[in-house]
Amino acid sequence: MRSWRRVFFGLRSRILLTFGLGSLGLSVFLALATYSFTRSNLVDVRESNAIEQAYDSARRVGVDLRSTPANVQSVIDRLGSSRPLLFYRGTWTAGDARFSSGQVPDALLTAVIDESRPTMMRFSVDDELVLAVGVPLEEVGGVYFEFASFDDVQSTLRSVGFALIFATGITTLVGIVLGAISASRAVRPLTAASQAAQALAGGRLDTRLEATDDPDLEALTRSFNDMATALQERVERDARFTSDVSHELRSPLMTLSASVEVMKARREEMPERAQAALDLLVADVARFQGLVEDLLEISRFDAGAIRLNEEELLVGEFVRQAVAASSLARTPVAVSPAADPMIIKGDRRRLARVIANLVDNGRIHGGAEVEVAVFVPDDDASTGLVWITVEDHGPGVPTEERTLIFERFARGGVAGRRGGSEGAGLGLALVDEHVKLHRGRVWVENRHDGSEGSCFVIELPAEVLR
Amino acid sequence: MTTRILAVEDDERIRTAVRLALEDEGWVVDEAASGEEGVIQFARQPADVVLIDIMLPGIDGFELCRSIRRTSDVPIVMVTARADTHDVVAGLEAGADDYLTKPFAPKELSARIRALLRRARPANPAHPRLVFGDLEIIPDEGKVLRAGEELHLTKTEFRLLCELAQNPGRVFSREQLLDHVWGYGYFGDGRLVDVHIRRLRTKVEADAANPRHVVTVRGLGYRLQP
Repeated sequence: MRSWRRVFFGLRSRILLTFGLGSLGLSVFLALATYSFTRSNLVDVRESNAIEQAYDSARRVGVDLRSTPANVQSVIDRLGSSRPLLFYRGTWTAGDARFSSGQVPDALLTAVIDESRPTMMRFSVDDELVLAVGVPLEEVGGVYFEFASFDDVQSTLRSVGFALIFATGITTLVGIVLGAISASRAVRPLTAASQAAQALAGGRLDTRLEATDDPDLEALTRSFNDMATALQERVERDARFTSDVSHELRSPLMTLSASVEVMKARREEMPERAQAALDLLVADVARFQGLVEDLLEISRFDAGAIRLNEEELLVGEFVRQAVAASSLARTPVAVSPAADPMIIKGDRRRLARVIANLVDNGRIHGGAEVEVAVFVPDDDASTGLVWITVEDHGPGVPTEERTLIFERFARGGVAGRRGGSEGAGLGLALVDEHVKLHRGRVWVENRHDGSEGSCFVIELPAEVLR
Repeated sequence: MTTRILAVEDDERIRTAVRLALEDEGWVVDEAASGEEGVIQFARQPADVVLIDIMLPGIDGFELCRSIRRTSDVPIVMVTARADTHDVVAGLEAGADDYLTKPFAPKELSARIRALLRRARPANPAHPRLVFGDLEIIPDEGKVLRAGEELHLTKTEFRLLCELAQNPGRVFSREQLLDHVWGYGYFGDGRLVDVHIRRLRTKVEADAANPRHVVTVRGLGYRLQP
C-alpha cells in the first residue's frame, strides 16, 4: 500500500493528475454546454421555420381550395413547397410519393384530424429524419401536412459533437503537458535540494542552494543553507580540534622522545627494575608518536588539506624500496614480468607509508612475516591496473569484519584480536584514505595460495612505461 | 676539535631535552630561546651547525635563517610543523640546508647533523681544479670562481656543484643527488634538490632564468655543462 502510494502519488504524479483531470473535467463541461446550446438553437430555428412554412402553405392551400375545390392535385402541385400532404374530403393527396398518409404516425393523425389541433412531430421516413407539421384547414374542412427534412440538422449536430470531442481531447492533452511542465518546475527546487544534500553527504561541505526570489522556496533554501553552514562549521570545528590537539601534543612528545633517548643511552647504568620501566617507556613513547602522527595526518585528510606531490614511479622498484624502508626490510618482493614495466602516478612518500603500514599490520597481527607481490590482474596490461599484495600468516580476517578494519579505531572483535599492544587503530584507516586519494582501492581477502592468513590488496591505476 | 651546535627553540623543555640528546653524541650545544637571541648568540660564538625552529616568537625562523646566511655558510637544519606545506620550500629558500618535521626522533636529528658535517668538509677531490667555461671550481680550497671572481656558496651548494662537476655532462637524477649530497635514500624529499639547484643558479649563472651551466634535463634530473 505504501509503495503503491509512493509510485502513483508522488508529488510529480499528483500535480500531473490534478492538471489532467482538471482540464478533462473543464473541457467536457464546456463541450457539453456548447453542444446543448448549439443543439437547442439549431432545432428551434429549424422548427420555427418549418411551422412558419407549413402555416404559409396551409393558408395558400385553403385559399386555393375555396376557389377550385375539385382540382386538388393541381392545388398541391402549385404550392411549390416540397413534400406536402393533404387530407381533403376523405382522400389523401401527396406532393411526393414517399410521403403518403401511411408514413404519418397515428398520434399525429389523431391530434390533427380528430382533435383539430396544429401539431408538430419528428420521426423517420426511409431512414431520413423529418419534421412533420400538421395544420387543420378549418374553413374548407381538411388537414394539411408538410414534411421538412431534419437530417441536415442531425448531421450538423453530429459534426459539432465530433469537433467538441476532438477539442476536449486536445485540451486535456494540453492540460497534461502543462501539468508535466509545472510538475517538473515544482520538483526542480526539490531536485536541486536533493543533489545539494548528496554533495554535502559526499563531503563537499561548501555546497549551498542558490538564492531564489520565490517566497515559497526561500524558506526551504534558507533553512537548507543554514543547516549546511552549521554542519560545515561543526565538521570544521571537529577537524580543527583534532588538528589542534595533535599539534599541541607534539611539543611534549618532542621532549619525551629526546629525554627517553638520553635515558636509553644510559640503560646499562640502571638497576634492573628501572631498565624494565624504561623499556616500557621507550616502546610507548614510540607508539604515542606514531599515533600523534597518524592523527595529524587524518585531520589533514578531514580538512582536505592533503596535497599530493605526484610523480611517475616504476611500481616494482618503488615497492622494493618501500619494503626495504619498512619494519620488515628483508621481506622479499615478487614482481611479475607483466608488472615490471608498469608505472604508477603517486606521492612516493605517502605511498611508501601505505606499504609500511600494511607491512607493520602483517608483522603485528599476521605472524611476524609477510610476503609482498606486485602483479597485473590476470596478466592483462590493458586493464590499466596494478595490484600490490601484502600476505601474512595470521588468523585472517573474518568476512564480516573486512570493511570494518579500515575504519578509524575499529572496535569489536577485530580490535580485540588485532588491537594488540602496538596497533594504534589508525594505520589501516590511513591506508584507505591514501589509496583513495591515489584513485585506487584497498581491500582484504583470503591468501591466494589457500593457506591460513590474510591478503591485503592495493589496486592502483597504472600504465606501461613507454 | 669539538663540534658546536646552536639550537634555537622557544620551548624550554624541548630545548633542554634536545641539548641532552645532542650532548650524548659528543657535541657542544648552545641554546637560544628566540630569533633575536639566536642572532646575538651566533655572532658571539659561531656554530658548526644551526638548528632553527621555524615557529619562533619575534624574529621568526625564516628571518633568522636569512640573517645568518648574510654572514655565514654554516649548515642550517630547520624544524617545521608539517612536510607538505609551503614552509619547507620557504625555509629552504631562506637558506636552510635540510629540514625535519616535529616531532622528530633525536637519532634522526643527529643523523642529519652528521650528514651535514660530512658535507661541510668536502671529500677527496679527483681533480684539484675543474673548469666549466667561465666557472672555475677548486675543491681543495672550497672555492668557486666565475670570471675570476670568487662566489659565496654555502657548503651544501658547494657539495652539490662538486657532485655535478665530478662527471661533467652526465645526468644526475634527484635520487642520486639526494643520496650523494644529503645522505637520503629513495624517500628523500626532491624539493631539497630543486630549491638548492635554484639557489645555486642565482649564484653561478649570469642569468638564472636561462641557466647555461646547471641544466635541467626534463624527467631525468640535472647536469653540469661548460
